[in-house]
Amino acid sequence: MRLIVQGKTDKGLVRKENEDAFCIEKDLALLAIADGMGGHASGEVASKMAIEVLTDSLKKEGEPLPQRLYSGIKLANRTIYETAQSRAELNGMGTTLTALQLDGNRLNIAHVGDSRAYLIRGGVIEQITDDHTIVSEEVAQGRMTREEAARSDMRNILSRALGIGPEVEVDIEELTVSEGDQFVLCSDGLSELVSEDEILLEVRSSKGPEIACGELVNLANQRGGNDNITVIVAHLRGENLLLRLLKFLGLIRR
Amino acid sequence: MTKIILKFKDKVLKEIPVEKELITVGRKPDNDIEIDNLAVSGHHARIFKMEDWFLIEDLNSLNGTFVNGKMIQESPLKNGDEILIGKHVLKFISTDVSTTREPEAVLKKGEASETMVIDSKVQQEMLAQISKDRSITSSGEVMGRITILEGSTDQKEYDLMERMTSIGKESSAKIRLKGFFAPKFAAFVNRSKEGYFISPASGKELRVNGEVVSGKYRLQDGDIIQVAGIKMDFNIKE
Repeated sequence: MRLIVQGKTDKGLVRKENEDAFCIEKDLALLAIADGMGGHASGEVASKMAIEVLTDSLKKEGEPLPQRLYSGIKLANRTIYETAQSRAELNGMGTTLTALQLDGNRLNIAHVGDSRAYLIRGGVIEQITDDHTIVSEEVAQGRMTREEAARSDMRNILSRALGIGPEVEVDIEELTVSEGDQFVLCSDGLSELVSEDEILLEVRSSKGPEIACGELVNLANQRGGNDNITVIVAHLRGENLLLRLLKFLGLIRR
Repeated sequence: MTKIILKFKDKVLKEIPVEKELITVGRKPDNDIEIDNLAVSGHHARIFKMEDWFLIEDLNSLNGTFVNGKMIQESPLKNGDEILIGKHVLKFISTDVSTTREPEAVLKKGEASETMVIDSKVQQEMLAQISKDRSITSSGEVMGRITILEGSTDQKEYDLMERMTSIGKESSAKIRLKGFFAPKFAAFVNRSKEGYFISPASGKELRVNGEVVSGKYRLQDGDIIQVAGIKMDFNIKE
């Protein structure tokens, strides 16, 4: 299977800096998004650092991939935390990190914060990460309804992020995937302004990931673009026909 | 019981019971507490609940917000506190907020809509609370299980271990339907921290306990699910 993928980041219409970061590492089949926070542009440092440390640790072979993903994020947390502690101007910086890594027909999901990953399958969009915000914890505990949470002034307050403490709890999930599946990763600059049904419609109706990313960013900007907007759209396709035919004929070794 | 008594020059104008998590104060009529006085900004301040205390936040008002004579940007409220807005006094009365413990100054403020993390001390307290709650609700991992009652599938029982379990004929479907006419995908079960949610694939009829479900439905222990000619039972086990 091959991954047709494209990403786009935009600082939006209000912010001066773009503190989001993302990566598409084809060799590692890794897609990741990070939304940094903190004063004096330190959010930018945190999000970039998260992506770099994660990518580097995945390149080191050895442990099975889910473990590498897990320890990579743990390491990213420690690196950001220690850097923040050692330099006054970076004090208090932090970032979200949401990563998808494709390993054959297994999709590894690793996640901290309120950036999101969605799976589009069978005409339905499903969020495959839980938001680590105070309000969503409240919803999970049944102390707040989803509607109240969506309106709450505290919806931007994270309950977990990288770089805030020496340790962080990382969500690790697995998913079996197949041809035709589509994935979307985004920062809250998109998900706050564009509903999941709109994301579904845009990804399904546009001609490819690149166009879908552009349209989604535009939509968020049309609605105020009050935060940095980052989105990655990926389509999981079967091998193309020619390749399949050649393999079938035995002209290419599997 | 929590209430706010609105006073002007020692005269009580109004008593407002606090029944919401958020109360806005300002000159404009869309506020919960409207104070028609030019010393008061259109949207002057808000009082909101967090955990078991209330906080007041000044919304960059022109003349500021004072709690017990001190100008504040944001401040926790205790029983008996007096909030001065313009020339009006709002007396905060609450038997619910703890008076023994004073909350630390709370949020690291940014622009509206900016992602924030709470200051570490408060965060640790809140997180401790959250993880405590979590351990109460899920003493031991909670696992969903689907048992096939009727219809043709590759197994009789399925543990819902993955983030999402698909029901269909496609290779990524854990609950694999058999038969030529079986759909690629019939329905999806999403395991989030709020619980298990089922939703039908586009255009498929899904019934839970006999009722048609069109969007996401939160599965309860013992629910009977019917889709694509399959009848199954959903159970939660610890």
